[in-house]
Amino acid sequence: MKRFEYLEARTVRQAISMLQRYGENARIVAGSTDFLVRWRQGVWNPEHVINIQRVAGLSRITYSSRNGLRIGALVTVRTLEQHPMVRRRYPALAAAAASFAGVQVRNLATVGGNICNASPSGDTIPALLVFDAQCRIAGPDGDRWVALDQFFTGPGRTVLRSDELLAEIRVPPPAANTGSHFIKHSPRGAMDIATVGVASLVSLDGRRGPCSQARIALGAVGPTPVRAYSAEDILRGQDINQELIRSAADSARDGVKPIDDIRGSAAHRKEIVGVLTRRTLEQALSSAASGPLAFEEQRRLAVQAAF
Amino acid sequence: MADFQTIGKNHIRVDALEKVTGKATYAGDIYLPGMLMCKLLTSTHSHARIKSIDTSAAEALPGVRCVITGEDYPDARFGSGALMDRRIMARDEVFYIGEPLAAVAADDEITALEAVELIKVEYQDIENVIDPLEAISDKSPEVHPDLEDFEGYGFALGGNNCTMLDADRGDVEQGFKDSDLIVEETYHTQPISQGFLEPMACVADVEANGRLDIYASTQGPYQVRAQLASVLDMPIGNIKVTAMEMGGGFGAKLRLALEAFPALLAIKTGRPVKLINTREEAFTLNGPRLETNIYLKTGVTNDGRILAREARSIFDMGAYLGAGPNSGVGHGLGAYNIPNFKLRSYGVYTNKIYVGSYRASGVADMTFATESHTDVIAHKLGIDPMEFRIKNALSDGDISVNGSVIPKNGLMETLEALKERMGLPKKLPSDDPKEGRGVGICVGEWRSGSGPSTAAINVNEDGTISLLTGSVDISGSDTSLAQIAAESLGLRLDQVVVAKRNTDMAPFTGPSGGSRIVYSQGRVVQNAAEDAKSKLLDLAADRLGVPADALECAGGAVYVQDNPPQSVDLGQLARMSLSSRGGPIIGTASLSSLPYAPVFNAQGAEVVVDRETGQVRVTRFVQAQDVGQAINPMGVEGQLEGGAVQGIGRALSEEILIDKDTGEVRNPSLATYLMPLSVDMPEIENILVEVPSADGPFGARAVAESPGFGPPAAIANAIFDAVGVRIKTLPLSAERVLAAIQGRPEDEYRMDVDELRSAEAP
Amino acid sequence: MVEPYYSLLDTLRDEMQLTGTKKGCDEGDCGACTVLLNGKPVCSCLVLAHSAHDGEVTTIEGLANGQELHPVQQAFVEYGGLQCGYCTPGLILAAVGFLESGEEPTEENIKFALGGNLCRCTGYSKVIEAVVAAVPRPDRGSGRGTE
Repeated sequence: MKRFEYLEARTVRQAISMLQRYGENARIVAGSTDFLVRWRQGVWNPEHVINIQRVAGLSRITYSSRNGLRIGALVTVRTLEQHPMVRRRYPALAAAAASFAGVQVRNLATVGGNICNASPSGDTIPALLVFDAQCRIAGPDGDRWVALDQFFTGPGRTVLRSDELLAEIRVPPPAANTGSHFIKHSPRGAMDIATVGVASLVSLDGRRGPCSQARIALGAVGPTPVRAYSAEDILRGQDINQELIRSAADSARDGVKPIDDIRGSAAHRKEIVGVLTRRTLEQALSSAASGPLAFEEQRRLAVQAAF
Repeated sequence: MADFQTIGKNHIRVDALEKVTGKATYAGDIYLPGMLMCKLLTSTHSHARIKSIDTSAAEALPGVRCVITGEDYPDARFGSGALMDRRIMARDEVFYIGEPLAAVAADDEITALEAVELIKVEYQDIENVIDPLEAISDKSPEVHPDLEDFEGYGFALGGNNCTMLDADRGDVEQGFKDSDLIVEETYHTQPISQGFLEPMACVADVEANGRLDIYASTQGPYQVRAQLASVLDMPIGNIKVTAMEMGGGFGAKLRLALEAFPALLAIKTGRPVKLINTREEAFTLNGPRLETNIYLKTGVTNDGRILAREARSIFDMGAYLGAGPNSGVGHGLGAYNIPNFKLRSYGVYTNKIYVGSYRASGVADMTFATESHTDVIAHKLGIDPMEFRIKNALSDGDISVNGSVIPKNGLMETLEALKERMGLPKKLPSDDPKEGRGVGICVGEWRSGSGPSTAAINVNEDGTISLLTGSVDISGSDTSLAQIAAESLGLRLDQVVVAKRNTDMAPFTGPSGGSRIVYSQGRVVQNAAEDAKSKLLDLAADRLGVPADALECAGGAVYVQDNPPQSVDLGQLARMSLSSRGGPIIGTASLSSLPYAPVFNAQGAEVVVDRETGQVRVTRFVQAQDVGQAINPMGVEGQLEGGAVQGIGRALSEEILIDKDTGEVRNPSLATYLMPLSVDMPEIENILVEVPSADGPFGARAVAESPGFGPPAAIANAIFDAVGVRIKTLPLSAERVLAAIQGRPEDEYRMDVDELRSAEAP
Repeated sequence: MVEPYYSLLDTLRDEMQLTGTKKGCDEGDCGACTVLLNGKPVCSCLVLAHSAHDGEVTTIEGLANGQELHPVQQAFVEYGGLQCGYCTPGLILAAVGFLESGEEPTEENIKFALGGNLCRCTGYSKVIEAVVAAVPRPDRGSGRGTE
């Protein structure tokens, strides 16, 4: 661990110019739920730490039925968990936020930080992926947009250049008759890094279908969180039945190459991908037809609680 | 049942206010002028000769005040039991990854850490052995080739076999011949951490007269004092240990842990030195429990009588004997009357961190095996698991494993209470095909802890009393001891002060653990109170002109039993005593051991098993325990609930993962060592059975350790009831349960029982 | 002197000698270091001290009103919601943060609100009982601080 200089940026421009000045020797912190831990472990050794917590304009979250959700990078995971429109229109995202660590960490952790950390098992990522989130990246020459499913390049690695900052995440409004669900497989109902995380979204053409949109995203089973495109193709345009769901689940399972680690073996993870894909699709389908579950029920199912 | 004034009532703990306001002082909360911070360098090799340690760069770093290595300590070994196999700091050789090699004292923590990084060590690797099942064979590389030279080498068998405990009765071979059914199985339990919230901490200071002041997070201040004296080669009287408020120990803090490092640094620098373990060091530096492999062979008749048992358990000790297999061999039978038995427990060295104690180490491991095994046998015989247990349960008058006669006890009452509360036998149907629901039970057998204990009670001039006890307040024991003293002398609880103490002022007592405090220490407090009482009665007899046996104590006064208004209050007696022949009143008592007082409990778990993910959740947990006499029922329940949840963690999610090639701990973090959280725990239902013990204070028995034994077997039995799979390895993780449901083979731990049998002397 | 690499926890304990907030893991995994930062429970071991320079921090030392305990502290005492006491300050602050948040105080919500706090001694039963008892009720007298 190396001693470092602490700096604060007050504007996006200021943050970017600090990044330009210090390059690889600087690290951005926002909620700082990871920084001190990794620093003490000797994994991150910047000479300069740039706190963007006070950068104006990055902490707002707004929703409109036309533009969907606009989430400033500094919005906390706790805010996502509690926001009434997130719970109503993006239930898988609220449930995923609720499953993230514990409330003390959620009050600090930012959505932007969770994304930029690019952990393969980041809890909010699968849900953001199935809602087709888009990332606004601020750089010295202005903004650029990258779809979230193009944002990650490897474990802990993103498309961000060393002088860029993730400023905002936009999530399009879901179509009418859309249901979503998220389940995290881990030993405890809180605090754990996911062994497997699966989010599914199903939109129906009218309340009885056919399926106009299906998205499935998998966490903790690859170098980055991924969409299960082949599984989605099985469902899109079809009248979804149990057989198709099973088929999609098998496809999702067969499409992943997880690793063995202290949380589980690759074989177990594949097995669980199949099960959770099936269950999240079933629940998403049901919610698409009859409306979302109450938040508390979503949360219970997401963390496999036994209340 | 007698009508008590303070015993058997819920009282607010004497330390509650300090703790809810943040004023309670733990070792890490001490700040002394000029205090230095200590950090440790630990080995990165699992078994190696130390060719050189170069501390020069570390010593040259500004802010560093002193650096020590193993060479700075007297060349001696110490141990926690009979076997002296351990150096406090590695000298020529290291035996596990994480073993301390050097210590730095610096002006602040970051400087100390930077200094540690500047120390250069040259290692020469020696062959290591990690798997205990490999280590026990005489073909294995030896961890300590000089084992035979260690003082206290008595129980060891040689090679890596550092201790062997045994118990025999009757003729097992004949017993097996007479049996209608023989069941042979092996079980495996995992390495586990005590999981105390407060990492070990110590502040060491040297007084002007050269005495060493130790402020430690410890359960055993006298034990730390003695071991420090031996390790530093100084008289015991040179050391004063103050046990600070302790944030959980559960056995981990019974012995010398890290105190010797700041102690020597304080001596060399002349300044106070503080060392606080990191959470990582809580896993890698000081004794957790390691794995146990257990072989059981039991013979029964068709009508369900157990005739014979052979049990062999191999306890992985790590690099030093540490806490040993402890209670392994004594618990190969469980709570049953088995006429013929042959029990063996082996402690084996491996190149890993050595073991400490954890809430009756060894018993929890054995209980998982024996109580799962009990269900397996019951199912094979077609007998209900509860009825099978009742049929074989120990009765008063039977002989226990250690040869004591089983006195009156509440085993049967706990079984009946559990059966009734849970409505056993019962089936738990589920209308969801994705899940199975089941119920499983487990019976635990333990004993009340004994060992040397002393206490003193001063009667103050206003009739209040000060209680001096060398025990450490763990989980409300100070409150219970105060209640015992108050009850004996007819005082209210607020008339008892429990003195804050250290090893200079409080008389010697054994470590605060092993279920010793309420039973043994409580007994001696009661005896000390009785001693003070007899002096008070003698004085009052003089004053009131009646014989002492006509008097009694209540309401803060001594009164004539036949004429209560004729009385004198304790304050008056105390003031009188100042100028009487006897002098100021002090009651004392001391004992070296108490007779065997068994503790039995029965626990039941209801679970829901997800058939597709293997996830297990406990939806209900019930326990009945014979507590003899609950001194403070709310405190007793707290012990039972905490112990049960520790057991649930052991059953479902806790495991120290160890690298099979290097012995390194792979998950030294609370992010990856998973202890139960509130969201997953059911409400715990407690039934306090009270069959008084003969010798405990007011009939009390030990309470704290038993609740942790049962949950693994109860849950494993419940899983079998729910989905029909029998799992013999802990923890019962989702992956393991799912694999079993899908019929995939279980992990293999091959115990070569024949080799163990043949190793026995003819 | 608060260095850039100090956490809020280290600052409270080492610089300000407010030792009521405890260090259990220094990694955000146990909740023993919970304080209220601008009214919200956070792990103080994760917060860079300098980043909290204009925030309002409430520690365990700030809860009682002289000799009068906060209702949550009082409930922990009465219901036996503590044993060794090391996790207690963090648990109490997590509970206070929850009760003041406006979230519905069901037992399930309470369990999730305390889901980031590890306790090794109590098994949580009496902790949950204490927090449930501390929920302000309209019919309670002034002792519960509902005014």
